[in-house]
Amino acid sequence: MDTVKDESNNSERNNYINNPIDTLALPQFEEVQLSPLQPAYYKIVLFNIGIVYLLLAIGAGCGIYFISEIQSYWYVPVAFIVFTLCISLFISRISFKNKGFAFRTHDVMYRSGAIAITTIIIPYNRVQHVALHEGFLSRKLGLATIEIFTAGGDSSDVKIPGLEKEHAEKIKKLLVGKVLNQDKETNED
Amino acid sequence: MKIDFSQPQRQSLVGVVVMFTDTLQGTVRSLWPILLVWVFRIDEVNKLYLGLGTAGVILLLGVIAYLKYYNFTFFLDEENEEFVIRKGILNKSRIAIPLDKIQQVNINQSVIQKLIGVHALEVDTAGSSKKEVTIKAITHDLATALKERLLESGKNTETNSFNEEGTTTKKEYPFIQISLLSLLKTGITSNYARSFALLFAFVITVYQNIEDYIDATGYESDPLQEYINPTVLLQFVGFIILAIIVLTLLVNLLRTILKYFNYRITQQQNSLLLSYGLLTTRNTIIRPERVQMVTVGRNYFQKKMDIQDIKIRQASNLDTNNKEHRKQAIEIPGCNEKEKDVLIKFLLEKMPERGVMLKPSIRKVIVQVVKFLIVPFVIFFLFASVRFTELYDYAVFLPLYFVFVATMIYFAYRNSRLFVNSEFIIKQSGAWDIDNDFLAPHKIQAVSLKQYFWHKKADIGKVTLYTAGGTLTFGLADYTRLKQLVNYWLYQVETTDKNWM
Repeated sequence: MDTVKDESNNSERNNYINNPIDTLALPQFEEVQLSPLQPAYYKIVLFNIGIVYLLLAIGAGCGIYFISEIQSYWYVPVAFIVFTLCISLFISRISFKNKGFAFRTHDVMYRSGAIAITTIIIPYNRVQHVALHEGFLSRKLGLATIEIFTAGGDSSDVKIPGLEKEHAEKIKKLLVGKVLNQDKETNED
Repeated sequence: MKIDFSQPQRQSLVGVVVMFTDTLQGTVRSLWPILLVWVFRIDEVNKLYLGLGTAGVILLLGVIAYLKYYNFTFFLDEENEEFVIRKGILNKSRIAIPLDKIQQVNINQSVIQKLIGVHALEVDTAGSSKKEVTIKAITHDLATALKERLLESGKNTETNSFNEEGTTTKKEYPFIQISLLSLLKTGITSNYARSFALLFAFVITVYQNIEDYIDATGYESDPLQEYINPTVLLQFVGFIILAIIVLTLLVNLLRTILKYFNYRITQQQNSLLLSYGLLTTRNTIIRPERVQMVTVGRNYFQKKMDIQDIKIRQASNLDTNNKEHRKQAIEIPGCNEKEKDVLIKFLLEKMPERGVMLKPSIRKVIVQVVKFLIVPFVIFFLFASVRFTELYDYAVFLPLYFVFVATMIYFAYRNSRLFVNSEFIIKQSGAWDIDNDFLAPHKIQAVSLKQYFWHKKADIGKVTLYTAGGTLTFGLADYTRLKQLVNYWLYQVETTDKNWM
């Protein structure tokens, strides 16, 4: 494949013009309006937090009930759980609001995070494959998660949760189409 | 010199020895607790039974080794373009590797293999690393021929023009050879931090053990305490530091020479063939198109001696579902300036030039100071004042630590730079060992930008470039500039016609 590439490069080199690129005139990713996740997705987030804290509360309750030494200090674990619960809810709300995605002509963007905001951008011609996940609860709410894999390792994979099922299917088709197109193009080269 | 690989064939017959030692090793490893018990009770055991038993076990292992050898065959299936291996005594298995999936073929030699004059051939495939295939005993000629065939056929599917080219340039010629002198230089100048930390930990434990021992022997007053006056303490510390330095140098020297002895780099068709090692010889192939990132690193001493380390990261993990960590980078130690230039030119196709420079923000220093000075100091004094007052005895070391860390932070900040031009991204980093990472934009897989909310006002942030051979992170730096760069890199990746591998 590489020599084939080299040849095409050679032919290109003959009528090769190297104009300076105005980097300021390039499309700017930061100006793209990101689409937010489906509001229903926040219910799933809340549900997950609820489960974790329910388990914690049960554990603490058992501890207080069965161990008599700590019974008089019952307010310590309770206060701790309530405090962390409040923080979790606060952070989950912020992080939900920060999450957003956009599909441009040549790449996909995903923004997330609460304390630090991370924007990750994957060009379509570097996508390896796409997966669509549906959890039990998200299926009930008609939601799905799209996961986009690259060869750059786990940390460069993007997982976009809280998409409408139909929308997710469409996105998957779009991405698969782009990936296949890429393959075809390179093969034809 | 075409050798026919289309018929199933066995390994070299002497390979039975390798199988035998392998099986023996495996058995000993799995049964060592029982063996240990026997060794300790050797007097109680009947010598005759012991002898018979050992002989029986060795015979059994020999038979197993022979059966392993007998049942192990390999051949090239030209029709399906697969390399097929059959193995197993009771559980037979047949492993077929499509030739175009073969990433690397390594020829290695362990001590035993060296003794009986055979080589091991390792076939490395893209994707799942669980089915890597090793032929354990094969003659050198056969190994090289097979290796050539395996890699050649892999390329055949991609291009045909290679063969014509390949036959003319088939001659192997070592074009770089790392001399023992360079290795000596590398050995005494590299890896200070790691060896130092190791030895320091070692010395501290020894020192504590001595104190414990003295405590246990029950002297009324600690003799150490008695003799310790400033001069003795100074001498002691001086001696320890000297000992650590000498030991560090020795350990590094030995390690480097053992690992990289007789380092030869040969150009073969369109790839580089590396072979090195004193006890175990390693052979690796590097193909420029698979190279994702190249790092050139050297410290002050190495600069003066004109040597540098080159680290090469190749695309390794095609199957992203595979959670196994990446293979380590391939290292070429002790290259001089000229050799480095030749290698870099070969690996990156042209000499990278430094483009527009980007400096990190001064806030980077603040973050480092908080992380490595303020937080440790606060923790130290918190512990010391609340509970463990004996920690104050170690307060002597605090100024030392402070000076050391502060200089490190200063130099790390001063050396941290990002150079960008249209063809390369070069990141310079490090306090003592200064590394230069070279990355071509078309190798980028994904880009991410990260900003903490308290950095928003200062307009600074971090950028991470993901490649198939690792990541490159630069920050904290001017966020607006970084965004521009990201836009530019995305433009480059999305319009390039070059493949990332």
